[in-house]
Amino acid sequence: MSPHDFHFNPADYGLPTRDELVAYRIWDSHFHGFYGAQNPIEQFHANQFYVERMGIERSISLEIGGTLAAPLTPSPYDDAIRQLLETHQDRLSGLTPIEPGFPDESCEKMEKWIRRGPCIGIKYVGGNKSGTTCRHPNNDPIIRLAAELNATIYIHTWLKIGGTPRLPGRDNLPGESTPMDVAALAQRFPGVRFICGHSGGDWELGVRVIRPHKNIFLEFAGSDPHSGQVDYAVHELGVDRIVWGGHGPSRSYATEIGKVLDASLSRPNRMKILGGNFRGYAAPIFRQKGWKITL
Amino acid sequence: MNLFDRRQFIKNSLGTGAALSLAHATGTALAAATTPPAKPAPLTEKPPGIIDTNVTLFQWPFRKLKYSETPALVAKLRQHHIIEAWAGSFEALLHKDIAGVNERLATECREQAPGFLRPFGTVNLAWADWEEDVRRCHEVHHMPGLRIYPGYQPFNLKHPGLAPLIAMVRERGLILQIVFQMEDPRVHHPLIKLETLDARPLIAPLQAAPGAKVQLLHFSGNVQGSDLQALMAETPAHLDLSRWEGNGAIGRMIGSAPSGSAARVPLERVFFGSHAPYFPVETAVLKLMESPLDRPQLNAIMQGNARRWLPPV
Repeated sequence: MSPHDFHFNPADYGLPTRDELVAYRIWDSHFHGFYGAQNPIEQFHANQFYVERMGIERSISLEIGGTLAAPLTPSPYDDAIRQLLETHQDRLSGLTPIEPGFPDESCEKMEKWIRRGPCIGIKYVGGNKSGTTCRHPNNDPIIRLAAELNATIYIHTWLKIGGTPRLPGRDNLPGESTPMDVAALAQRFPGVRFICGHSGGDWELGVRVIRPHKNIFLEFAGSDPHSGQVDYAVHELGVDRIVWGGHGPSRSYATEIGKVLDASLSRPNRMKILGGNFRGYAAPIFRQKGWKITL
Repeated sequence: MNLFDRRQFIKNSLGTGAALSLAHATGTALAAATTPPAKPAPLTEKPPGIIDTNVTLFQWPFRKLKYSETPALVAKLRQHHIIEAWAGSFEALLHKDIAGVNERLATECREQAPGFLRPFGTVNLAWADWEEDVRRCHEVHHMPGLRIYPGYQPFNLKHPGLAPLIAMVRERGLILQIVFQMEDPRVHHPLIKLETLDARPLIAPLQAAPGAKVQLLHFSGNVQGSDLQALMAETPAHLDLSRWEGNGAIGRMIGSAPSGSAARVPLERVFFGSHAPYFPVETAVLKLMESPLDRPQLNAIMQGNARRWLPPV
């Protein structure tokens, strides 16, 4: 069965057709196509079936160079993934994970993978061996270099309930940032834009944490779909501060697209969230690299 | 247009950047990802409606949900071609007056959408006289089934009342739905601390009550998959798909994914469930489209399997 074939018309079920999904120009700012598999290349190719089927225009991988578990250690698949980024440049982009416990090494990695390589930004992973969140002063040279490169900055955040007494964020992993950490970093760099990933998981709290900081985008992939969550984010932040992530293949594109379809949005605003806002954020580095980008 | 093939797509979208880049990709990574083309036949029949076996009415205790008012929820479900919804009550999670919970649920279904909303009352095995609640649900409210919420209701599946409950619902011809999760434990309200529900204690009472209609809601199994495997191999338990996650999840679970992975759940035991209004209805319906399912598979999941258990009003 081709990824373009459907036995029933999605429109009969109150859903966009594939043509309409394509027309939304969906950019996935949270693509895990190379993550968690024994052979990341095979997984990437297998997942392309769903990229095609759901009409995703561009996937932005968060694990280019090394792995999320060991960002500064080269992966045996680095060369193959780098080649994929080049051959699929029209559909695939990459962020390289850094480790704020090691700012010098992280900056070296950014020079290699962003300035001299195919990546467009950095990712802060959901926890690290050094236990360093994005709030720590170690991050300052990393962010200064990212700003110089026009790199996008994606920061995984969660607010996992736990501890004694139980409170959101107290069950986070060592080095796993919270929206509060992103807010603290963003205050130090008011001219730099950041993505607060996963909306902090607990989006009712996370959205309010970043609300005063207009240089922070919200991304809300990788947590369960909650009816009303995108409406809430739009109400508090404005539609221009929200970017979409798919989190596939471990999450369903259906789940993440469903969050946006649930929201009471005009078509132009839906398109901003599904791709337009991220394109605006990433446009400077695309142009710097000489790549065409149509906003 | 009911069938969307590649030729039609390119015809409709040529001239856009998206279409051009898509056409480029078609010859590269996609070639490795797609199975040999087997085009569906043109659609001539009316698209089947969906029976949603996992809907809940009234107020979620921790947030005002967008579609918490029953008329709005019913309209939303109908917008997505849901033709029938098996409805529980959020009040069942924390209320102690279970008889009142069930009475309000029955009244709401009858008054707001008779025949469309099918009420699934509850019993709380931890409270006294739950057998009388079973009787009232069946004989007074004429409910087709019950839904229990272990964890929120203070018991687990090792409770000595579980086997008698399963025996009672079998004897009365009722459906029993067992809810494994309502929300991700990582975002629970700080006051809520629930144990992870172990499904394996269900195996013995299900084996002791052959023919009992028991459906697990919002269940995907433990990380190892061992409990799901055991339940599928050793019991006739059925499932809804609201908890299944990951690209192509439905196809992978029933062994119909392009990757060719083995089935973990027999197709005939899968019911559609959206977990609305907590989850957007769109997510579950869109998952039906995301997985490359054929028409018999879609028909079975959308309504055929559920209809075997519960005829229309």
